[in-house]
Amino acid sequence: MKVAKTGNEAFAEAMRQINPDVVAAYPITPATEIVQLFSQFVADGLVKTEFVAVESEHSAMSACIGASAAGARAMTGTSSQGLALMWEMLYIAGGLRLPIVMAVVNRTLSSPINIHCDHSDTFGARDSGWIQIYSENVQETYDNLIQAVRIAEHPDVKLPVMVTTDGFILSHCLETLDILSDEEVQGFIGESPERPNLIKSLQENKPITIGALDLQDYYFEHKRQSAEGMFNAIKVIPEISKEFAERFGREYSFFEEYKLEDADAAVVVMGSTAGTAKEVVDKLREEGRKVGLLKLRVYRPFPAEMLGKALSGVRSIGVMDRADGMSAVSGPLYPEICGALYDVNGKKPVIQDYIYGLGGRDVPMEDIRFVFEELLRTAETGKKEYTLKYIGVRE
Amino acid sequence: MPTLKQLAKREEKFLSGHRLCAGCGAGIVARMVMLAIDKPVIVGNATGCLEVASTIFPYSAWKVPWIHSAFENAAATVSGVEAAYKSLKKQGKIDKDVVLVAFGGDGGTYDIGLQSLSGAAERGHRMLYVCYNNQAYMNCLSTDSYIMTKGGLKKITEIKQGEQVYAFDQKNYQLVLKKCTGVFDNGIKPVYELKTLHHSIKATDNHPFLILQRNGRGRKNSFVWRTLAEIKPGDEVIVLKNINPGRSAEFSFTKVTTKDYKVNRLNDVDIPVSSSPDLMRYLGLYVGNGWVRSEKGEVGFALPENTEGREVLIDLHNKIFGGNLRTDKVYIYINSVDLARFIDSLDFGKGAKNKTIPRWLFTLPLEERESFIDGLMLSDGYKTGNSCRYVSASSELLSRLRALLQITNYRVGNIHWQSKEKATKCADRELLQDAKYGYVSFSKRGKWNTEKYLGQYRYKNFLIGNKYFDVEKVKSIKLVGDEPTLDLRVEGEHNFIADGIVVHNTGIQRSSATPKAAHTTTSPLGKVIPGKVQFPKDVASIMVAHNIPYVATSIPGRWNDLVSKVEKAISFDGFTFIDVLTPCRLGWPYEPELTMEISRVAADTCIWPLYEVIEGKYKLTYRPKEKKPVLEWFKMQRRFAHLLRPENQELLETIQREVDRKWEVLLTKCGR
Repeated sequence: MKVAKTGNEAFAEAMRQINPDVVAAYPITPATEIVQLFSQFVADGLVKTEFVAVESEHSAMSACIGASAAGARAMTGTSSQGLALMWEMLYIAGGLRLPIVMAVVNRTLSSPINIHCDHSDTFGARDSGWIQIYSENVQETYDNLIQAVRIAEHPDVKLPVMVTTDGFILSHCLETLDILSDEEVQGFIGESPERPNLIKSLQENKPITIGALDLQDYYFEHKRQSAEGMFNAIKVIPEISKEFAERFGREYSFFEEYKLEDADAAVVVMGSTAGTAKEVVDKLREEGRKVGLLKLRVYRPFPAEMLGKALSGVRSIGVMDRADGMSAVSGPLYPEICGALYDVNGKKPVIQDYIYGLGGRDVPMEDIRFVFEELLRTAETGKKEYTLKYIGVRE
Repeated sequence: MPTLKQLAKREEKFLSGHRLCAGCGAGIVARMVMLAIDKPVIVGNATGCLEVASTIFPYSAWKVPWIHSAFENAAATVSGVEAAYKSLKKQGKIDKDVVLVAFGGDGGTYDIGLQSLSGAAERGHRMLYVCYNNQAYMNCLSTDSYIMTKGGLKKITEIKQGEQVYAFDQKNYQLVLKKCTGVFDNGIKPVYELKTLHHSIKATDNHPFLILQRNGRGRKNSFVWRTLAEIKPGDEVIVLKNINPGRSAEFSFTKVTTKDYKVNRLNDVDIPVSSSPDLMRYLGLYVGNGWVRSEKGEVGFALPENTEGREVLIDLHNKIFGGNLRTDKVYIYINSVDLARFIDSLDFGKGAKNKTIPRWLFTLPLEERESFIDGLMLSDGYKTGNSCRYVSASSELLSRLRALLQITNYRVGNIHWQSKEKATKCADRELLQDAKYGYVSFSKRGKWNTEKYLGQYRYKNFLIGNKYFDVEKVKSIKLVGDEPTLDLRVEGEHNFIADGIVVHNTGIQRSSATPKAAHTTTSPLGKVIPGKVQFPKDVASIMVAHNIPYVATSIPGRWNDLVSKVEKAISFDGFTFIDVLTPCRLGWPYEPELTMEISRVAADTCIWPLYEVIEGKYKLTYRPKEKKPVLEWFKMQRRFAHLLRPENQELLETIQREVDRKWEVLLTKCGR
């Protein structure tokens, strides 16, 4: 069914249809609407959910951890500073292997305080043991959240998932999307698979201890198991995407290749900027220039091998990082793309990093065109001109 | 309410095999609370002793479903469990009635966890939150510290506002006198002992010390302030090695006459008007081996024949005082009222265990200080090569001697204690009874030819050429337990010299260097001893203000009190809170078998009154037959040892008054 919804509304709608057992959330711009809309659903009796209006994001994640450990399907939503306040608990949710699903609206981190989009909040949480799925538009925002439930709860994965959408650019942007019926969503996500939990252990009179002290003799093994869950997700995510495509016709993978096949130059981009960049690719293609695009959807688990294959034919690659590394080699994405491409089929493409759009700075087509021009030039010469460039900034 | 026999028959839910200390209150409280709940129960635990010691993977002491996630969020985590339970119950996925219990220590409840606690209470989740409150504290210097002042060495507790104390001039590295502009009592806090080779000091982990920062060869070194928590072994602190040349002490002693003192004959002696090396050596021998009976007018020395000290003393006596003396094989006696009174007036203390070194001695010229140490060595000292060792039964004497040696250019070791049986030989004599003796070892600093290789020595020891100060590497930092603490504020340099080490004054603790150090007029940390200058946070009242159905205080020592309160709490449909005073045998510290007794005395002294608040109505649940003085509680715990000393009498009275006041307030709330 075609409807017009903002990113936040799409998140809230998906949450209503998922109908989780527990939602514990605290409002924060630009994700406030998710919490507002969902609490309205609760008030109107449209969901069976126990809604916990916690006093902070730290408690939101803590309550989700408690609920999930007790056997509930638990969800929350947040953004930026709220995610930062959850930091401690993100690692605990990941380490306890709790399939919590979180809707995150990407917003930059203070200071300076700013409520607009970049990816510094979720990029920072990349090693917390959470699966991360980024969305290009409102449709993806919706579809990703529904798939996230299945991915998180898959017995081989059992890890929390955050689905992100770009603050304001998508969260507050009205787009037409195709939503599923409640039955279709319920049919797809199904009942939560059995896993050990507090209430089950109480019912069966076989008490379990969750969150024990893990010393030198066990901690490493448990961390290794968490990583194994991540590696397993590389197999599980495509299975679930495939099932989603079969049922509803929209296909997703770890990334989307756009006119990449014969491209000499390509950008790797995440989130809403991919939409703008596709336009630029189309224009340049019309001019007869061989450019393409790779939109990374799943950042964790990082699909290194697949990326290496997909990009191996491209002579010059521009990585678009919407977060700064503060004197690291580059932004956070670039080194991983380099790692994925290192020594693939003996080819050594030129790879350059472009940090863009911090704090919601607009990303016009000219900026992306500028990147392609540079890439096409280096594709010709085969020489890297620099590692890192900031674009769209006065300096 | 079940009887003890019925309780004993219930299935244990908190099992043995956990690794809490013997006599730990937390384990007892957990077990009692679990026994009191005769229903299916799920437990959430904040990070802390109870959690760490009871669930070391792959073991668990909990025979109930149990979850721990972090330190500050037990209430929030359990609120999530409660939400899940409610949701699943609505959906018919669970049929049992479940009781939810959260356990948090006082840190996870009063401090870092207060927000989460408040949130969960306000939302009214149905759970019982049990605070096992073992009173942790933060922040300053132990009241054991000695401070170098213009008037000599003083205990930190003796320092008054306006007094001149020595400080380190951070520009010129000189010793300067500065005015102390404030003294702050910071209550009882955990203190750490920092040890260097020759110095040691006890302070809280956020007390700043001056550290030498080496910036590499060819670059200028600098000094930085670091809190104790940031200091690592190997860091170099600044210590005092000498003070100004000093002046001889002047005595104004009026001799007695036969009119004043009804004896036939006064053994007339000359009384010196000022100190001298000879007199100080004589007094050194006195401190080691002498006694005074002023009522009899007798001064005596236990210096047997064939000891070096005996001859030295007789010579010195004749030279300084003149007059007659009497000897036998072991002792020397001088019957002189004047001499006895004169020595008495010098404040050396009486009796082997209470001898001390008076503060005036610290400002004497170097030569006189060295003569005094010489005299001490002749009495109860050993010498092996360059190394000296002094033995005494008086801990105060030893620690003050240590401070004296430190500023007289000696290297000084730590004080060691040993027990010796009757008849063992100690300092050339046999002990007359079993005794506990301490000793301190020291040696003269070697002479370094600093003129020749000054650059090299300076690199090794930055302050080598400095007359007053030196740097010493930190050897160890160890937690030694809770002690009363004080701090000073000093004008100008904002530092002072405590136990020979340069430390920052109190000002910095309010800066960003110490995030938890809002330590002055408010006392934001989780403590329950009423009556300190900083009052404890009354979390029970804060919980009452949340309008929750049930709030109570309890102790493990009255099992029926705790058990009945838990039973009552879980009968309410909402958030309930019990604050249980939980003795910590290592932290407080006391012997493990006293846990229950100590908690009962806390209730008997009304330091920890037992009451409950049902739907906002206060009710006293235990009224001591006889309200004991607070001293009764303090004296059971070593962390309060200092409170029992006469100089702290006033503090003790302040505490008593505050306890009394709060008790009256509580009685009024309870309708008396």
